[in-house]
Amino acid sequence: MPWGYEAMMTRKEKNKRICMAIYCAVVYLFLFLPIAVIVVNSFNATNTKPYMSWKGFTFDWYVKLWSNGSLLEAFGTTVLLAVISTILSTMIGTLGAIGMYKYRFRGKTLIDGLLYIPVVIPEIVLGISLLTIFAKADIPRGMLTLVLAHVSFCIPFVIFNVRARLSGYDLSIEEASMDLGAGRLRTFFEITIPVLMPGITGGALLAFTLSIDDVIISYFVYGQTKTYPLKVMESVKSGVAPDVNALSTLILIVTAVFVVLTQGDLFHRKYTET
Amino acid sequence: MDIERTQKRRIRPDTLSAILMVGPVTLVMVLLVAIPLIYVAAMSFCSIDEFYNVTSDLTMDNYVRLMDADYMRIYARSLFIAFVTTILCILIGYPFSYIIARTKSRRKKVLYMLVIIPFWTNSLIRIYGWRSFLGTNGWLNSLIIALHITDGPIDMLYRNGTTILGMVYCLIPFMILPLYTAIEKLDASLLEASYDLGAHPARTFLEVILPLTSGGIFSGSLMVFIPCLGYFFVSDILGGGNSDMIGNLIERQFQSGNNWPLGAALSIVLILLTLILVKIYQRLGGDMDALGV
Amino acid sequence: MKKKVMSLLLAVTVSMLMLSGCGNAGKTDNGELNVFIWTEYVSEGAIADFQDQYGIKVNVSTYSSNEDMLSKLKSESEGAYDVLLPSDYAVEYLVAQDKLEKLDREELPNLKNIDDSYLDPSYDPGNLYSVPYEGGVACIAVNTSKVDREITSYDDLFDPALEGQIVVLDDTRAVIGMTARSMGYSMNETDRTVLSEIQEKLMSLKQNVRLYDSDSPKSALISGDCAVGMVWSAEIAMAMEENPDIEIVYPSEGAYVFLDNWVVPKGARNYDNAMKFINYMLSADAAKENISEFPYLCPNKKALELMGDDYVSNQAKNVPAEVIKNGEFVKYLDADTLAVYDEMWTKLKE
Repeated sequence: MPWGYEAMMTRKEKNKRICMAIYCAVVYLFLFLPIAVIVVNSFNATNTKPYMSWKGFTFDWYVKLWSNGSLLEAFGTTVLLAVISTILSTMIGTLGAIGMYKYRFRGKTLIDGLLYIPVVIPEIVLGISLLTIFAKADIPRGMLTLVLAHVSFCIPFVIFNVRARLSGYDLSIEEASMDLGAGRLRTFFEITIPVLMPGITGGALLAFTLSIDDVIISYFVYGQTKTYPLKVMESVKSGVAPDVNALSTLILIVTAVFVVLTQGDLFHRKYTET
Repeated sequence: MDIERTQKRRIRPDTLSAILMVGPVTLVMVLLVAIPLIYVAAMSFCSIDEFYNVTSDLTMDNYVRLMDADYMRIYARSLFIAFVTTILCILIGYPFSYIIARTKSRRKKVLYMLVIIPFWTNSLIRIYGWRSFLGTNGWLNSLIIALHITDGPIDMLYRNGTTILGMVYCLIPFMILPLYTAIEKLDASLLEASYDLGAHPARTFLEVILPLTSGGIFSGSLMVFIPCLGYFFVSDILGGGNSDMIGNLIERQFQSGNNWPLGAALSIVLILLTLILVKIYQRLGGDMDALGV
Repeated sequence: MKKKVMSLLLAVTVSMLMLSGCGNAGKTDNGELNVFIWTEYVSEGAIADFQDQYGIKVNVSTYSSNEDMLSKLKSESEGAYDVLLPSDYAVEYLVAQDKLEKLDREELPNLKNIDDSYLDPSYDPGNLYSVPYEGGVACIAVNTSKVDREITSYDDLFDPALEGQIVVLDDTRAVIGMTARSMGYSMNETDRTVLSEIQEKLMSLKQNVRLYDSDSPKSALISGDCAVGMVWSAEIAMAMEENPDIEIVYPSEGAYVFLDNWVVPKGARNYDNAMKFINYMLSADAAKENISEFPYLCPNKKALELMGDDYVSNQAKNVPAEVIKNGEFVKYLDADTLAVYDEMWTKLKE
């Protein structure tokens, strides 16, 4: 049963609803304004830094994008990095969450406490702490250090998501499975994991999102393996070139399409009901 | 690792599988979180030689330097900017989350996704979008001049206000999302009961809705306030480097300042500030796990 | 489900292998070249030409100040970079710390293109470790359509009438050095009482500065966000081409002068490639391409011949010799003094 302003739609109610709609529209405008600037600038025919004044419409930047090797390479690096760190942190995090749920051991509270650190401590502190330790251990900065850094800040998010799912998890189904003769491994892969799947995918999605947009932590550990956000950071210094805007626009379109596809049922229902 | 037998659960604890499960996460957390932070803490007591290299001569100098009035002013300003950002996020985000969480519209899910989509575009480039928008020859000034509101452009960029605008823009989803979850969970019958008992809407809000959604406000505030202290690139791009925050100071000591021990000491100050905030959050009954989901 | 898990495991194994590959790749000469240079300073076209001609892949990283570069160099393991582009005083610092490889003259025949007056500098006698690239001064840009008063010196930048109108380099030594020059002091003062005097004057600059930007200060000048700038000479030359209202002013006190140099850091893994790269950058063609895009002071006399009169007579691009003579180079400071400079800088930017 909905509440508040139900059946009676007096004029006052109507005004209220219009006000609310306008309010929301203003907030959405705020959220999408810089995106509009990016999209419009990706079609801007200007050739001179800082690429701001409008010089006419062009598709050139979308063509030129494909010959900007370093930008595409950086984008590839980012995707690879996000995939690797998502897989690693999801595996380590899921195992850890289950293990910490099932077993008690010395030092558990310590690990528990450590897990909160990457979530609450400002990223810059994590970045410099990794920088100093990598410098001390003389580990060459590059893909390896980026993966280590990303895995370390993604794991807690995976664990919290899996843990949220575990809180409703009844261990007795594992016993039932083993009573029926299934081995420990088989029980794990065929009972435990499927039950926890929503938590695992939620955590993995979050890890992927965090990894792909991270700039502060990567900034301190990248060496010469530039990720797309770092490449953007570099171009922000001298004026974001329209081809960077073009790539951002393409990414935006792809993610928007992805959203539409995954929410497909929603749109479908809307049309069948009316 | 020493594994104790659990009494409650009847599955036989197996040392090997426990180690396999908990071992990797322990290793990562200890090697990549605990040890680096301990190392930073140790470094904050070190000094540098004439070539700016870190030496192991122990000293309190770094902390003494950070007690200086100028640094105090920077902490105070950082806290102030973070505070204003948080309040603005609540003021803008609360009504907004309320409307989209309680709407009966079938487009509710779309409205929700529309909040998230902008954040799949790189944050730096969106901040830069603001710079283009607000610049002297930017869209907003062109509009103002075209509408004859003023004769010349207004200087909007590179002020404290633009830094705060950038912070609010970057961090507001961290406020909206927990608020949305908290408001969506509200039990409609409670609100009806309040109305039925003749409570004024304002009273219903203050005495029923607000207390029930305070968890969302608290976790949202923490997730806005703390990152705000460290987002050095926002004040770099939109503040023009005029309004340094703690994050900028740390970044500078590890880059051009070339004084790692001082940067380490600054980081420790920032960690302590964070811990105080987290303690307050816990006192207020905040759930730590809610921060990461 | 099992299949999924197996494929996941496989993916991880493969990615780990790739990672370890990345980790090892750099240990020996890998046929590539890692250069670490200033932003907006070396033509991407020139680097691409080098790649094409020599078949050597060049990985470019950039920095915005000498201090940034030194800090990054310190944090990286030895051999992370093959070529650096430090300014005069940073070369001196690196030599003093024994952080540079000696350059093999045999491999640098194009050194003959460099004008003699730029060789054998005080910071690297005999050019054992460094060869000059480009140089310039930090001077003043004025947008005459927005500023009424005449500006002739660094001292004029402290005029309260310029409130919120200036873009300055985000560079500790340049801004503090400029303040010192405006008071008749050296840019390398170490005396604490003098420094506190400088500090006092520096604080009066605070309200005039709208933006700190070392990477592309011309952007704010071109866009009109700032009417006055204390920036690198070539940035002004480029801004002048976009916006004819902008003029260049060489400060009467004598400007901050710099000369940037190619060097090879100790332990460089691709020394031979580094030599080829530096020699290529010394060639007349590459130097021409570089100064066409980033019009700084050019020590390469062959390139100047190619550029013709337009360039040579342009005061903003080809900085007049007497400006260089009246100017001052920055020197590197001991850690304690640098800490004082940093403190002053923190106060300014707070």
